[in-house]
Formats: sequence, structure tokens, C-alpha cells
Amino acid sequence: MSKVSRGWDDEEVLAALQQALRAQRAVPPEFIEAGKNAFAWHNIDAELAQLTYDSTLDSSLELSLRAEAASIRALTFTSAHLTIELEVGQDSLLGQIIPAQPATIRIQPREDAERVLATDEIGCFSVQPIPSGQFRIHCHTAAGVSALTGWITL
Amino acid sequence: MRDDPSVIALVARVGDGDQEAWNELVERYAPLVWSICVRYGLSRQDIDDVGQSVWLLLVEQIGKLREPAALPGWLATTTRRECLRILRAGRRYDHEGLPPDDQMPPDPSATMIEQEIIVAERNAALRTAFAELPQPCRELLAMLMSDPSPAYAEISARLGMAVGSIGPTRARCLERMRRSPHLVAVLGDQAGGDIEVKEPRGEQGE
Repeated sequence: MSKVSRGWDDEEVLAALQQALRAQRAVPPEFIEAGKNAFAWHNIDAELAQLTYDSTLDSSLELSLRAEAASIRALTFTSAHLTIELEVGQDSLLGQIIPAQPATIRIQPREDAERVLATDEIGCFSVQPIPSGQFRIHCHTAAGVSALTGWITL
Repeated sequence: MRDDPSVIALVARVGDGDQEAWNELVERYAPLVWSICVRYGLSRQDIDDVGQSVWLLLVEQIGKLREPAALPGWLATTTRRECLRILRAGRRYDHEGLPPDDQMPPDPSATMIEQEIIVAERNAALRTAFAELPQPCRELLAMLMSDPSPAYAEISARLGMAVGSIGPTRARCLERMRRSPHLVAVLGDQAGGDIEVKEPRGEQGE
């Protein structure tokens, strides 16, 4: 900036404004949209449960003796206080909360209404049919602990 | 000069769970996050990843920001850290696809980041000031800024304004811009009036 000791003249204001609008146009709208969507995480009482295991990314599994299990996909999500284990079966998605305890499970598809279900006494649940698009799982235990997974695509 | 009061108000509204305020904040600062990523030479996908991390971290921490006015600095620092994290992860795991060391994009210095913050704040203030102009002013200035800039006769026809009043209207609209509180807050003496500034910032001190 060369003109610091006196005010901008008309040409300078116009040029600066032009540059400001150009800088805004350089940003793709999807980038801004994704930023706005991040606010969905605001005020969520749940801890984020991060993907800590995915069988499709586990190369050691192919070498294991349980060859028949290779067709079953297993995922683990871990937050500070809860672990959610998932197994994709033939026609249902099986899950368990660890430590084992009763909880309310919300399956939240990105493009669809959420489904609410209860686990059994030891935290097991089954989702049928298997969610087709992107979804996440919100888990609220009877003891009052909540966790929310990132987006999952099976 | 980075204490635009409108930012402080926005941060407070976001803290109260106001999605509209959050949207405004993202629109205001997306160009800053974006431009820093571009400086680091990241691919489009890496930029999206950095953006995702930066906004999620902000959602999580905005309530703990001690000084809302320090938000641009926080965003720039966080973006820079996320860019470096991605570049480092790439170096470790993907040696094959990487250019040789001497062709790696240089690590833009802290000075550059500081410069990006100043430019981003100035640009945001200019856009806000522009958005608050009366509609006829915005239409006229938008036409004057289009490339190639149209002849006055064409502007006159399109906006239904006498050719003779285009010049004076332009001057009046730009004067309104200059006097906008948003611009004054960020630019201080630079934009408004013929005020002598004792110490020009930047160039002379270095």
C-alpha cells in the first residue's frame, strides 16, 4: 500500500473494491457451502467418535485364517467415553456399544429422516435395511453419555 | 487495525447458536482460508480437507475465543498449521508423487500470513461497505467495475440515468464507501478524508 498518508481517491476506492470482489469470486461456492454446513456440529452435546478401525483398510486381515469373515465389513468408532462397533451383515447392520450398556441409537442419513432404535441390555442393536447413502450414528446411553460418528458410507 | 466491531457482534451471535451469523462469518473469512491454502500450493482436494478441519475447529472453539477481534489471526494460524500438517503427511506417505525438494512450494513466512490477514480484513470491509450501499449505487459501481467498462451512454441507457449525472453519482457513491464505518474501522485513516498519518504503517518501519 503506497497511499498511507492521505485518503484514497475515487480510483483507489474503486480499484480496491474490484480486488475485494475478485478475491471473493476466486473461492468456489462449494468451499463456502461446506464451511456453513460445519455449523451442524455446534451445540451437539455428543463427543465426536472417530473411525479407528475399518476392515477394508486392514491388509493383515487378508492373511488371517478367517477367510470367510473377509466378506463382512467391520468398523470401529471411538470417542473419549464410548466405542461403537459395527459389522455389516448380509441384510442388516449389527452394532454394539462398549462398555456394554443400554442406549438409544439414532441413524441419521444425510438425505433422509432419522431412524431411532433402542439397544438391548448389553448395548447390541441391529439396523435393517442397511442404510444406503451417507449416514452417521448418534448414540445416547442410559447413563447420559453421547457420541456421534463422522459420516459413514457402507 | 483489525477490530471491526461487526466481527465482535458476529462472534457473539454465533456463540448463541445463530446459523445466519455463522454463515456470514464463513462468507467473510472463506477467502482468507482459501488464499492461504493457495499460497501453500495445495491441491483442490487438500484445500477442501483443510477447510473442513478449520471450520470444525472453529465451531468447537469459537466460544473459547478470548478476543473475538483476534478471530482473523486465529483462522490464519489454524489454516497455516493444517496446511503444513497435510504437506507433512504427504511427504511421509507419498514420496513418489511429490516434486523434488527444491521444487516444493516454499513455506510462506509468517510475514506473508500477516499480510494475508490485512488484505482479507480490508477486502471483507470493502465488501460489507459495498453491500450496504443503496441499490442504485451498487448497480452503478458494478457496471463501472465490469470489464470492459461500458461507455457512459450505455450505462445511461441501462440504468435510466442521465449521462451528466453519472460522474457526480459515482463520486457520491464512492464517498459513501469511504465513510462507511466498516471501512473506517479496518483502514482507519487510510480510506477517509485527507488526514495526515504520523507514521505510515508497513513500508517505512522495516
